[in-house]
Amino acid sequence: MTELEQKIRAEAARLLSEGLVDVVMAFRKEDAPLRPQPAFFTCVEDLENLIYNGLCANNLANYLTRYPDETRIGMLVRGCENRSVNALVVEKQHSRQNLYLIGVPCTGIIDWRKVVALTGEDILGYEETDSSLHVRTKRQSYQLPRRELLHASCQRCVHPNPLSADIVLGEALPEGDPALIRERVEAFEALTRAERTAYFKQEAERCIRCYACREACPMCYCEECFVDHNSPRWTESGTTPAGTHAWHIIRAFHQTGRCTSCGACERACPMDIQMTYLTDKLGKDMWDSYQFAAGMDAKSQPPFASFTLDDRKHFQAGGMHS
Amino acid sequence: MDNRPKIAFFQCQWCLYAPEDQEWVDKRLPENIHLIKVPCTGRIDPLFVLNAVQGGADGVVISGCLPEKCHFKEGNLAARRQLDAFSSFLDYIGYDEARVRFIWLDLQDRGRIQRELTEFESLLKKLNPAKSLATRVPETEGGAND
Repeated sequence: MTELEQKIRAEAARLLSEGLVDVVMAFRKEDAPLRPQPAFFTCVEDLENLIYNGLCANNLANYLTRYPDETRIGMLVRGCENRSVNALVVEKQHSRQNLYLIGVPCTGIIDWRKVVALTGEDILGYEETDSSLHVRTKRQSYQLPRRELLHASCQRCVHPNPLSADIVLGEALPEGDPALIRERVEAFEALTRAERTAYFKQEAERCIRCYACREACPMCYCEECFVDHNSPRWTESGTTPAGTHAWHIIRAFHQTGRCTSCGACERACPMDIQMTYLTDKLGKDMWDSYQFAAGMDAKSQPPFASFTLDDRKHFQAGGMHS
Repeated sequence: MDNRPKIAFFQCQWCLYAPEDQEWVDKRLPENIHLIKVPCTGRIDPLFVLNAVQGGADGVVISGCLPEKCHFKEGNLAARRQLDAFSSFLDYIGYDEARVRFIWLDLQDRGRIQRELTEFESLLKKLNPAKSLATRVPETEGGAND
């Protein structure tokens, strides 16, 4: 058990035993060492299963909307989760006073697919330090560099530190470079129109419409998704090109000004489809047009909810297209 | 008609064109322009625009009221932010932004809608048909096919 895990357990135990929260959301050990799962602790005894390492891949803010507003939730938050929580609080999905955020500065989430590609699947043990991973299989042990095996969105992470946690465990980390996301979007914009369409189609058309991206996304909490509505049907629901294109375009667009670039959608995708190049583009547009970044505080309304008459500076009155 | 660009034309019903303009829109619109009347531009979900694009529209026109003249006070303000962002998002994946045109009309803009549509059509002729995202099978009664 690492020192950080100890601190998280101690804090979670304090919250539960003092009755400050009804449930603590964190991660629990699983038989498959590379796949810790989200866990919901309601009594102190269960906390011995609590685990925290770079393989905790889910965005826990996803589960916030599944509790009624009056439930007092203690939850483990990393940088992106904290921003997702902020965005959800802005959208009135939970009262901030009923949340207790245990912040952990995040060194990035390991992409278990990258690990398995190097070691094979029969993994027996896993440990990590700040710079390396130790993976033990039946045949041999591996020492792997941490930085290279991070999930792509974590390599581009800008805010690894929780922004509004009630308590922060561990040392604050240096901020990431915002240029990384921007450059990737700009590189895509610089491609020709035909190349962009070809790339989009190649990604979107692999989609099997399992909606794992939606289920993993903290901001996708609609009771009925537009693709599930069937009378009238707004869009094709099969794996036809029209259906998969529409799903990827509209799913991304519904995240405009709300996505915190946590990459949970890509981590959840069984087909390894790239999606953050779409949502990051929208994030960049929102920043360029409205100087808005999602989840930076728990007050600012996202651009699509805060339109004003002053928008004239974006749209020439009586003019054509701005 | 087949070689003329296909245009999906979303019109806010409160734009209150001059009577002769509105009559032209309602009754004498050329066949290549498909009119969709909406109660406010705020009703236009980006999905409607996408459906037009996937259904083979070479261009999309959205005509609404001036910012401060919205019948519902601010429906058009919401629409502008969303639809503007959506058209540049479509551009990002390859559907030319120039194919989505906004026309914010004032009461006095007599005869303007015809001019704009004619001008837009000649622009679309230069751009050639938009095929890249036109993936939908032809519509049957009752909405999208599955």
